[in-house]
Amino acid sequence: MATTRRTSQRVTLLMLVLASITVLTLDYHGEANKVITSVRNRVGDGLSPIQRAIAAVLHPIGDAVSGAFHYGAVQQQNQVLMNEIGTMRRELAANNQASAEARSVLALDHLPWVGNLTPLDAVVLAGPSSNFEYTMEIDRGSSSGVAAGMPVVGASGFVGTVVSTGANHAVVRLLQDPRSTIGVRIGDRGTDLGIVTGAGRHANLAVTLFSSHTPIHKGELVYTSGTSGSGVSAYPAGIPVATVTSVHATTGGLGVTVSLRPLVDPTTLEYVAVLLWTPPA
Amino acid sequence: MTASNWARLFLICVVAFILQVGLVDQVVVAGYHADVMVLLAAGAGLIGGPQRGAVTGFVAGLLADLALPTPYGLSALTFVLVGFTAGLLAAPRATESLLARGLTCLVCGAAGTLLYAFLAALIGQSGMLTSSTLEATVAVAAGGLVLSWPSLVALSWAFATPRGLGDRHVVPSGGSATL
Repeated sequence: MATTRRTSQRVTLLMLVLASITVLTLDYHGEANKVITSVRNRVGDGLSPIQRAIAAVLHPIGDAVSGAFHYGAVQQQNQVLMNEIGTMRRELAANNQASAEARSVLALDHLPWVGNLTPLDAVVLAGPSSNFEYTMEIDRGSSSGVAAGMPVVGASGFVGTVVSTGANHAVVRLLQDPRSTIGVRIGDRGTDLGIVTGAGRHANLAVTLFSSHTPIHKGELVYTSGTSGSGVSAYPAGIPVATVTSVHATTGGLGVTVSLRPLVDPTTLEYVAVLLWTPPA
Repeated sequence: MTASNWARLFLICVVAFILQVGLVDQVVVAGYHADVMVLLAAGAGLIGGPQRGAVTGFVAGLLADLALPTPYGLSALTFVLVGFTAGLLAAPRATESLLARGLTCLVCGAAGTLLYAFLAALIGQSGMLTSSTLEATVAVAAGGLVLSWPSLVALSWAFATPRGLGDRHVVPSGGSATL
């Protein structure tokens, strides 16, 4: 009985070993390779959703375990990555700033309202050294052809007037300075003329109208008129200065009070252009 | 063994294969993972005897080979030998406890890993017999600490006499039952 059993076991073993070797040989020498590869691929396709689902559950656990085992290395790697992120953020910020600066300079080179005048790009070096002044300093001076009385503009419009120059710098009196007086016209109409006077850092500009023949509307642009006179500085005509923020009829209805907001906020300027224009003698 | 036992055995092999590919292969420690399939072959030999161990090894090996890049049939050949040998080892100690069987299963599984590497090298697979072979063997043995006993319990269920055909019992080791 035991001998029969042992014989049966050996026959079974022999058959299975031969079967295994047959399969192995068929695959190894290529006869059944295509079929086996196809079956393997299909099994792989069938199991991949299960693998993905289990991986989705297991990976966070595995990461946590791995993190616990390799805490020091993970911490070091984390530090390296944080440093890299910091470097990249700094580079990104620098790139963004460079891009913004490039846009500012480009805008100054394509001012549509300068006409035949030559704009000279300048960097704003500093604001006023006193809280009670409305000036800025730029990096262009007499060596670049800058002279007192020349208008200084930003991409949006009028900024101020050059009041003094050194060889390589100039001081610009801002539009907001109460000493600034500019002859202006409202909109495209040549008839509505007036004088704009600075009123301080946060106040709207004060305007004195000489004449108003047509209704003035909120949002209209105000340009330099090109006129000058007693106490009124001369500028080329057509430079945008401000927008009309409100229009009120004066008591008695004989005139209007117009409030203006400057187009350029000098506190945000990094680049300006000096219009190389000499005031008439 | 009845048709029901074979069905159970096949079901266990398929479930083990899915668990191996879906779960166990993804639990990697130091670059290695456990191997349920070889433990299944060894466990079948320990519980059912050499013949059942060899047959289970053959089925488990053919399934395992579906997920491996090595020549098809290599795992089957290895597991047949592992299952048969485990059955021979278990024969004189049929009354051993589940703990002892689990440990034997673990050792057989580790030996099967070495045998697999040896046979693969024999048929020309490169890089099979290196220092990492030993590490993989240790990993399979370590995995066996967890996976041997569930495998043995499942195989006991597969080889048990179905209800209605007699008392529910585990067939003694040594292959006394007919295949």
